[in-house]
Amino acid sequence: MSATGTNGIAEEALPGEGPPGNSATVTASTRRRPNPRLDQFKRTWYFFRRNTLAMVGLGILVFFVAAFVYGLVFQGPTTQLNLYCATDGAPSQSTCPAGNISVCTYPQGTTSPGANCYQTPVIDGIPYNNFIPPTMTTTTLGPLPFGALIQSGQVGTPYFYNLYAGLVKGTDWSLSISVAIVLTGAISGLLIGVIAGFYGGVVDEVLMRLTDIFLSVPQILLVIVVILAGQEIGITGFDNRILLMVGAFIATWWPTYARIVRGQVLVVREQKYVEAARASGASGGRIVRKHVMPNSVYPVFVQMSLDVGTVPLLIAAIVYIGFPIFPNVLWPEWGSIAAESTLTLPDILQECAILGSGSACPFPWWQLLFPGMALFLFAISVNFVADGLRDALDPRLRR
Amino acid sequence: MAIAESTITTEEDQLTGVRERPVPTTAAVRPAATPGEVVLDVHDLATYFYTYDGVVHALEGVSFRVRKGETVGLVGETGCGKSVTAFSITRLISDPPGRIVHGTIRYQGANLLWGLDREAKFKPIKNSKMVKVSRKFRRIRAANERMRAVRGRGISMIFQEPQQAMNPVFTIWDQLGEALYLHRGIELLDSLLAATPDDPEVGPALDAFVEAARPRNAEQARDAARRVAMAVQVPSFETELLQTLRQASVETDFDRPRLNSMLKRFRLTPLQRSWLRRERRRLELDRETCDIYLDEMRDGHLHRARKAAVRSQRLPNSLRRFPLRLWGINRHVQKPVKRELYWQSVRLLEGVRIANPAQVARGYPHELSGGMLQRVMIAMALSTDPPLLLADEPTTALDVTIQAQILDLMNDLKTRVGTAIMLITHDLAVIAEVADRVCVMYAGQIVENAPVRELFEAPLHPYTQGLIASIPRVDRPEKALFSIPGSVPNLIYPPAGCRFHPRCPQAMPVCREVRPPVTDEGNGHQVACHLYHGKTVEQ
Amino acid sequence: MRLWIYIVRRLILLVPIIIGVMTITFALISAIPTQQRIESYYAPCRGHCYQPWEQYIPCPTNASATCTNPLWTKAIDQLGLNYPVPVQWAIYMENALTFHWGYTNNFSTVVSNYPVLRGEAVTTVLGWFLPYTLELAALSLIIIMVISLPLGNLSAVYRNRPVDQVSRIMSFSGYALPAFLLGTLLLYATIIVVGGPSQVSPICKGHFAALNDFWGSWPPVGCSNLYGTTNLGLDGYPTWLGGGFISSPTGFPTIDAALHGQWALAGDTLLRLVLPALVIAYGSIALLLRFVRNSMLEVMNLDFVRTARAKGLSEKVVTRRHAGRNSLNVTITVLGLTFAFFIGGFPIIESVFNLWGVGRLLAFSLEGSFDYGLIFGSTLLFTFLVVGANIIVDVLYAYLDPRVRLG
Repeated sequence: MSATGTNGIAEEALPGEGPPGNSATVTASTRRRPNPRLDQFKRTWYFFRRNTLAMVGLGILVFFVAAFVYGLVFQGPTTQLNLYCATDGAPSQSTCPAGNISVCTYPQGTTSPGANCYQTPVIDGIPYNNFIPPTMTTTTLGPLPFGALIQSGQVGTPYFYNLYAGLVKGTDWSLSISVAIVLTGAISGLLIGVIAGFYGGVVDEVLMRLTDIFLSVPQILLVIVVILAGQEIGITGFDNRILLMVGAFIATWWPTYARIVRGQVLVVREQKYVEAARASGASGGRIVRKHVMPNSVYPVFVQMSLDVGTVPLLIAAIVYIGFPIFPNVLWPEWGSIAAESTLTLPDILQECAILGSGSACPFPWWQLLFPGMALFLFAISVNFVADGLRDALDPRLRR
Repeated sequence: MAIAESTITTEEDQLTGVRERPVPTTAAVRPAATPGEVVLDVHDLATYFYTYDGVVHALEGVSFRVRKGETVGLVGETGCGKSVTAFSITRLISDPPGRIVHGTIRYQGANLLWGLDREAKFKPIKNSKMVKVSRKFRRIRAANERMRAVRGRGISMIFQEPQQAMNPVFTIWDQLGEALYLHRGIELLDSLLAATPDDPEVGPALDAFVEAARPRNAEQARDAARRVAMAVQVPSFETELLQTLRQASVETDFDRPRLNSMLKRFRLTPLQRSWLRRERRRLELDRETCDIYLDEMRDGHLHRARKAAVRSQRLPNSLRRFPLRLWGINRHVQKPVKRELYWQSVRLLEGVRIANPAQVARGYPHELSGGMLQRVMIAMALSTDPPLLLADEPTTALDVTIQAQILDLMNDLKTRVGTAIMLITHDLAVIAEVADRVCVMYAGQIVENAPVRELFEAPLHPYTQGLIASIPRVDRPEKALFSIPGSVPNLIYPPAGCRFHPRCPQAMPVCREVRPPVTDEGNGHQVACHLYHGKTVEQ
Repeated sequence: MRLWIYIVRRLILLVPIIIGVMTITFALISAIPTQQRIESYYAPCRGHCYQPWEQYIPCPTNASATCTNPLWTKAIDQLGLNYPVPVQWAIYMENALTFHWGYTNNFSTVVSNYPVLRGEAVTTVLGWFLPYTLELAALSLIIIMVISLPLGNLSAVYRNRPVDQVSRIMSFSGYALPAFLLGTLLLYATIIVVGGPSQVSPICKGHFAALNDFWGSWPPVGCSNLYGTTNLGLDGYPTWLGGGFISSPTGFPTIDAALHGQWALAGDTLLRLVLPALVIAYGSIALLLRFVRNSMLEVMNLDFVRTARAKGLSEKVVTRRHAGRNSLNVTITVLGLTFAFFIGGFPIIESVFNLWGVGRLLAFSLEGSFDYGLIFGSTLLFTFLVVGANIIVDVLYAYLDPRVRLG
């Protein structure tokens, strides 16, 4: 069946071939060139729309993108967010006048922490030495009035942290890093996969061995080890560290794409239109560009949408192990915030168990739950979208 | 072949009178042997496919009959709905998106499409070319289950690309054996249970065989093998003997100890025996269920009580089978059956003239060529002696020489077994060779239906005339090649009235509006065209 | 016969992979400064071994290579740090393949927390901890297989119906939930629910908080008097459980407890594995479930399924036998591919549940001061595990699909 849609192509139209109501003659002026790509997009969107879970995922994703934009636009003061200099500690006490303590701060753009002097707050008769001044905590991020504070940390020494701001900024972080990593990984994987699949032979073997090598090392480990080595070489400083982390992730990510694309290219390569293009004299590069690549790219889209959700999870895992990817313990990244809450978990659990259920277990569950929920919702919405895309794009599963 | 085998068994009954169980009557499966009797009656079949692009009216008002022993050819261009017809008959249409909308298919009086209208509801979507189909999956699954009574036993199918049609991870004998066990399992188990390897007649028969084997006298060997098989009461032993003989090299002695060890497979341990009896009971219940299904389709209402009765008998059986699997005894108890199935499938392969059948049976589908695989498929389809065989373009994927062999084989089997064949193809030459009767299809409708000679000598429908005219003639080289102008219509918006009218050189104004009725033009020649005004055939 | 040839060919193909991985670790380990490298790989043993920590070479970090301590020069010589890079690579290869992976760093955090690990060869330490990980992996694999195969098949057969939607949600939530979150919440919830002094395990009943029933590889020390053994070691554990985590003879806790006749203890060890196995399985089921479903859908559309139906086989037999066997092939391949992901989750789970596995060791070595020997050793070990799993998967695949054995 020719998929000419509702507007037939005039050259071949015979009476009775168009939709009912079409007169026997088709005038040239009503002819509209059908755009196959647009039609395909519309078709894909139709199947996607019918998938409730995919639409739910899309909705949540839109929400996250809105949060991302919000975080970009309303840049709160960074000192509010780079809060707790865990590994670096506060500079000496003596620089501050009496009754004040020096609080460690790490403003954006600086390479080492500094200190500011603030008056020691006394709450319930207890002076708190590690804290953030109230002016900072109550300043919210932009017009929305969520100023949720959390008290957390080691049992007995609270500090204040604006969880809401951390979550929004975390959206910025997670989204931008995920997209950067996945996009770069996908593109490099696509290129390598196409070359390996199309040219075959020795090139294919070598590239596939390379892919296998990178796939054999568990991702977290490779990232950790790369950052470790980079650190030793001398890549210090925060921005460089982040770049190193992104680079390490990309290095672990491209093999999946290379494999997928190569599999697809192997199938596409045997198709008749490639043979026809070759017979009509197209060069290798042209065939790759015009025929092979556009047709092998669909599984990449699906995999990309899956992976965008996985990156923040991996970062969270690395932070949870205890590996200092970020310079501050309470870095505004979902995984970091959540992981920090579990530092003293065993003792707390022990207490809780002894005290029995129902008693006040001093575990800041909200510090674990909300970033965790953010991670979860992000990943799951992306997964729904990816699955919907896969079902919509796969010609074999189509109804 | 299977008929020969069951003949032996019956003879043997009369000779020794020893049987463990009475043979169940399979009369319900095999129709009365009257030539001219209608095996399949398709009436007003309509199948649509509900897709994103709209509703594809693949089949519209298709009607024809297949009589016993007849080969009916279904011809048409690619995309005219031939395969869809075959799949509709056995209800193998993939249900989303396809749907048999309407029609009756009578097989031995049973309407295979019973209950069709209650399986789905249709609701057109406004402002769109799509139709919303709400399917009742439970009913559809039940209908599928009912079709099991007919598929394989009554109507067998062979498909177009044999390499794709066979399961790549199972051996050939495994797949052949599956079909055999399913439909002929009871007879097989009976013969196993009744085998008498220790019969006093076996010894001398084996000696005679060894005698015949040494000088390699084929005739004598075959007779001797047959005698041994009769003595043991298992027909497939004949095949086993002959094949082993063939494979034994000239130097080695083909002697009694070896033959005795071959006989071992008939000595069943009590555990095996009890399992075989249990299996036989289960297969009997299966067969009964299939008969009930046929009756349901025949009578037009459910036989719930009978099904419940069968189900109540079945349950303890299945519960008892499960522990066997857990204890790993399965392999032990199944060995005699598997051996028997192996040799029976070797026998089937012999029947379809495959060289070296013992080795081929042990191989996998990807090791065989297309021609051989198609023979295997034919063996599989005909192993159960079905009254009707649907062949969906069996030779399209094969080259011409193999094609000739396959058609020859099909002819031969047809005369031996008496199966009716419905051959679907686009190749008129094949039709001319093999068919007794031809149905010409165009765009989902049957346009002409005639005996084969009639069709070629006096085609009535303009489409058929065009088809025959476009066959290149070697004896008229100066003529330009003829082709029917235009192309196959889009079945989402089929032409109104006669679907061929846009391309018909003799189209009249009425063709554009009214669908032509099927008229009888004498000599068994029916045509659907406004040009002819014969007696309208009552559909 | 052909299966053996196939296995041998796969094994040959493995060699470049292993070499490649070790090259990567070599490149990364070369970045470590000399002093720490020597600290982590001081291999005086090549026939004459002595305790490395007694011979720690006190050369200052900012000293040049002109440190005159002969042991320092000897170490540099053994590591080949004076030679050009290719020679270093060769030496590293040789060490890695002969399982000379160095020693634990005397001054790292992990060793200062657990003195029994001090100065041990990395391979020995990993060998102590590996059985725990393997037990956890085995249990998780069983759970994964038991849930995802039938559920995936059902989702394919009843496509887009309630079963499919439920399995879809389950698989997505499994994939999206960070392991530590699920683990922590599960642990927290279980303890809150069980509550009070331990009532769950037959061991330590009534004496310890519920935490100790689900957390850690062995029951806490104070319980040992309930084991029923008479020979107790210094730390209160039975003698066959040396040092709190090294059990003899096999090293696998459940098997050893069973071998010593302590059935209650064996059951207790398994109980501790249940929650972590569930958490791991939940994450991997996600990946596998969708894959089983999609591969099953693909297979159901193939021609031979239609032939099987046309033969008259019931839908159940067609699905299970014909379609199932064919979709199993690809499923097993995917299982191999996801093994790397699977293994990567272990450090976190073992940290949450305080199990004595290799992942936990890795997590330790990353806290505070890094223990390079352990880190790189774990990397190599994990890689070997993944490669090993891939071999098994390949062999299984060839066994299940005869077409593969041909080419």
